[in-house]
Amino acid sequence: MRGALNLHAIRVGPTMDIDKTRCVGCGNCHIICTMGVISLDEEGKSVVNQDECVECATCYRVLRNENYPPWFVRSIRKVLSLFKLGYLADVDICPTGALTLPELVWPRVLRAQFSNPTVVHPGTGVPGRGTDEIKSNDVTGRLRTGEAGLVVEIGRPGLGAFFRDIEKVTIALAPLGPVFEPENPVTHLIADTTTGRMREGILDEKVLSAIIELKTDMEKIPAFLAALEKVQREIDTVVSVGVASRCLPDGTIPHEEWVQKAGYALSPNGKTNLGLGRPLFREDEP
Amino acid sequence: MTNTLHRRGNREDLKRDYVIFVHTAKGKNREGAAPKIREFMRICRKYHPVNMGDVKQGSMHQDDIEIDRLIAGHEDGTVAAAVFTDLETLQKVVEELIRADLGICINISGLLDEVKECCRRAGITRHSAEHSLGIWGAKDRLPEREVMEFNTMCGHGMVSFNLIRRMIEQVRLRRMTPQQAARMMAKCCECGAFNPLRAETLLTRMREQGFLNSPRTNRD
Repeated sequence: MRGALNLHAIRVGPTMDIDKTRCVGCGNCHIICTMGVISLDEEGKSVVNQDECVECATCYRVLRNENYPPWFVRSIRKVLSLFKLGYLADVDICPTGALTLPELVWPRVLRAQFSNPTVVHPGTGVPGRGTDEIKSNDVTGRLRTGEAGLVVEIGRPGLGAFFRDIEKVTIALAPLGPVFEPENPVTHLIADTTTGRMREGILDEKVLSAIIELKTDMEKIPAFLAALEKVQREIDTVVSVGVASRCLPDGTIPHEEWVQKAGYALSPNGKTNLGLGRPLFREDEP
Repeated sequence: MTNTLHRRGNREDLKRDYVIFVHTAKGKNREGAAPKIREFMRICRKYHPVNMGDVKQGSMHQDDIEIDRLIAGHEDGTVAAAVFTDLETLQKVVEELIRADLGICINISGLLDEVKECCRRAGITRHSAEHSLGIWGAKDRLPEREVMEFNTMCGHGMVSFNLIRRMIEQVRLRRMTPQQAARMMAKCCECGAFNPLRAETLLTRMREQGFLNSPRTNRD
């Protein structure tokens, strides 16, 4: 059923929701929900906690709509219960197609932009979390020799983050004078890059994760990590941190030395740009 | 594809987990890139990846995705990915991609030293590299290490902690095989970066050695 929208279920409304007239309370959407914020109400129908929902639409995409009439599913249950049997739908099914996909409006639309990977960020044209990092560094030269890129993904893994938490981190990093990546969805929401303050009216919006992406001189890595070390204790979610740089001509990674100097361990795994993009960026380009 | 940066696991497991993906830059090599991205995926497909997909269309493990149609549907800005489980095959893919000279940006997520060696053997020097410095912040809110190993294979976070626990439970009760449970998790991952073979191996190991024995707190 991927991409085949249930026209009867769609409505213009503010949030991901469950049609109570169709829901039979099977609980499959509770399991699939990335934030674990769908539960049963007192009537035995599933309900979405709208404050905590990040509009990732995973429930809508993953659960196949069997489109059974709700009375049919309830009747089967009643008959089975006579024989002390239960009705268990496969975990990737919504038996009655009760999930409804909303048309979101500002600022709630931010939730989908940062949480639903199928949504292309309007500012960057990139789907997923909307970042470039080193993925095209061979043609863009975004990170040049002597520069380090820092990616700070707030809310990942699995907990999500409110923009008020994300703002705490941007405010902690801004005094160090980073270059916030201009083609990054979080940067677009920072009202003042010198203070790290974000735009008004978005702080209560929750997203699955958001990536602060910046670059700085290599020798400043320890200062940035120290600032992150401090601010991580002030936020009620997790942060996945990454560091990147352009390799030296012999393939060694210059940021390794600075991260180790700062006292942090590097992962054995990571990301490698092979340098096969064309036209290859030259260091003498402006 | 920062989503592939923070995959968790021990070195032996990570040795069987490589994501190769393509990216393009606006104004540089994005315009007119669609045929090159399709060729990238055709080359990957020849070597039998355990997963492939793109975030706009979905992955090969989703119910209504047909691979030829998936490849035909790639557009200029598509971020397409394929997952391989051994370095030898990855090496062959890289060598063929070098010969194809597509001009699009190609990245690999995996053990950095192994990928570096793969590049050396293929006659190229890596251009840029990125490390994970792990998870910071409220780590006490995270589940067991095993759950994290599944969850971080889809860095977009589409495979929920609750689904992972349910799949582990289904395998424990022998209601699902590890393969079925792994495929169910892979269905949730939109971009095709999830490694279902690694998930199956983890579930099989759990069935043999015990379920969710590690502490909840996910210390680095």
